[in-house]
Amino acid sequence: MNTHNQLPSSHSSVESRFASGFLKALKKMNKNRPSSPSIRDTYRRYNFIRVSAYGLMASAVRPGRAWSHATLWKIRNRTFHRALMKRSRTHSLTRRVARGNPRNELGCEQVNDLRKLVPGGEEMKFCRLLNETAHYMKCLQAQVQIMRNIVDHYST
Amino acid sequence: MDIAVKDANIEPEKGNENPINYHATNMSSDWPLNENILTNTSLGIIPTGNSIVESSVCSSALMADSFCPQIWDQPVSVQSLGYCDVNVPNNARTKDNFGPTSASTGWIPDAILRECMYLPTFPGMVPQSMPHFLADSSCIEREARFSCFSGENFGDMMNRYIVPENLNSNSHVLASMQGQHDVFASGGRKMSMTESSKEAFLPSEYGTEGSPLKNKKTIESSPFSRVEAKLGVGTLANDSNEVEFSSRGDQELEGSPRESSGKGLGSKKRKRTEQNRELDENNRVPEPSAETAKDNAEIQQKSDWNPTSTSKPAGKHGKQGSQGSDLPKEEYIRVRARRGQATNSHSLSERLRREKISERMKFLQDLVPGCSKVTGKAVMLDEIINYVQSLQRQVEFLSMKLATVNPLLNFNIEGLLTKDTIQSCIGSSSSLPFPPDMIMPYLPLHQTPPGLIQPGLSSFGISSNALRRSINSPFTSAFKESTSQGLSLWEDELHNVVQMEINSSAPLSSQDLTGSLPPGHIKAEL
Repeated sequence: MNTHNQLPSSHSSVESRFASGFLKALKKMNKNRPSSPSIRDTYRRYNFIRVSAYGLMASAVRPGRAWSHATLWKIRNRTFHRALMKRSRTHSLTRRVARGNPRNELGCEQVNDLRKLVPGGEEMKFCRLLNETAHYMKCLQAQVQIMRNIVDHYST
Repeated sequence: MDIAVKDANIEPEKGNENPINYHATNMSSDWPLNENILTNTSLGIIPTGNSIVESSVCSSALMADSFCPQIWDQPVSVQSLGYCDVNVPNNARTKDNFGPTSASTGWIPDAILRECMYLPTFPGMVPQSMPHFLADSSCIEREARFSCFSGENFGDMMNRYIVPENLNSNSHVLASMQGQHDVFASGGRKMSMTESSKEAFLPSEYGTEGSPLKNKKTIESSPFSRVEAKLGVGTLANDSNEVEFSSRGDQELEGSPRESSGKGLGSKKRKRTEQNRELDENNRVPEPSAETAKDNAEIQQKSDWNPTSTSKPAGKHGKQGSQGSDLPKEEYIRVRARRGQATNSHSLSERLRREKISERMKFLQDLVPGCSKVTGKAVMLDEIINYVQSLQRQVEFLSMKLATVNPLLNFNIEGLLTKDTIQSCIGSSSSLPFPPDMIMPYLPLHQTPPGLIQPGLSSFGISSNALRRSINSPFTSAFKESTSQGLSLWEDELHNVVQMEINSSAPLSSQDLTGSLPPGHIKAEL
């Protein structure tokens, strides 16, 4: 299968690209760090880290997939925060979009949930959605592991 | 006459269904045989106009047959030559019907070539066989769909005509034939097509075989095909032919503007011939005959098997064949089944899609930990959704942690990316130690006391560990692994507690919980 053959070769490079970019972003963020951060500060930093994590992961995927393009597009359009924060709104929106698509043979609810989860999955066909989900999942796994390692590194 | 003959011919066709397969298997032996017959009798039969006309009617009926499902559904025995076999038996049959009349005309191999451009083995057999009409007829709808395809073939035909025989007039005949094919493909009237093609075929035959008619033609031959059209009509000298001519002329009027899409030289010549013929035949033919021709065409289409659905596989295969690879052929045969209407392209593509989906589902099943036992697709989708959600939440959770943790500024990237860490990453990622959904509700706890956690990293680690213990304990039974895994988890947590007491900076890592940490890492931490 296509993704199966592609991923292992490019996986380490994707990981390293993401890790280096993410560490750079963290460094940059920590330079501006105030000596006594407030809760609001922490929240801002949290948002920054999360968005940069998603964005760097998406930009580390080369050649870009549909989900990475969608993620980058969202970040660029500044709707990423709101889309993530206001889940309910996107929820209703994607459901409306996906209900217009009669091609789903599996449980409609689940497919819609999956479409909602994978960025850019709203207007994909089901085959494509599964493909993208697999890739996205792999990238998320790698991302989680790298971030976990960084946290370990910080905390030791 | 037409209707009667055709009705008589349509019924015997069913009796002839079996010979199709027979010819397909014995194809190689057939050809030399027929060649002999042809060489023997070729001179004698040509002048007989009536027999030719009848045989042309037969060919039209045969053509109707060539679209029958039986041919398309020919099973595995066709595999060796692929799609081409289906046409080859037809060719053999036309040969039988036509007898020698259709003998060694130059353009016949081209028709086969058009059919079998993607078959390497076929051109060797081409010269002996005389596929022409049926091959063309089965090709027509394909041509209608892929005009560029027909354009290529037309170039082929032109080359083959001109080069071996140096007869421009033949090439004109071909041009006119091509035009007719296109016209009738667009018009959807196969009956008239055969008549016209037959008729156009006659002059070329004369030209190539050097019969006395050839001399006549060369004497008459202006570079235009009007002469040939006249010749064809004159030799055939039959009502039915004139009927066909009239209908064809009408159709050409309709169809000629439609086909003008880039065929270059061939299209030019074809148009000229069309115009000439329209002039000739519209003058000659009375109107009611056109109606009879239409009736014939309707009868023909009734006897056809659902022409649109048959044309689809033909077009599909033409597309695949133009790619010139062996794989599509196998695929085509593999998915083809004797199911009647269900074998149209829609259901085929649908089946392919379903196969693709199940394949990807399997791939996803391998990716998601603990999903291998799940069978139902809906349950699997649930698992996938949960897993992706958990991963996303983990990312958010970790970024939250990174936001709260006071970073030690000097760390090396290389250390993060060494093989050990990556391996441990992969190893532990495959077995997700805890469902992060359960962590999420406790996130506010992390968020509220950042000031307290800030001074000491160890305190943060301890608190998070305690948190996790409190999370894990009620949910141990819900883990995908059985109780042994839970026990190991508890042991590891006890180990962690001991570690925390010994070393104040307890690591916060899921590897410790699962115990999948490489030993080198543990040593470093201890």
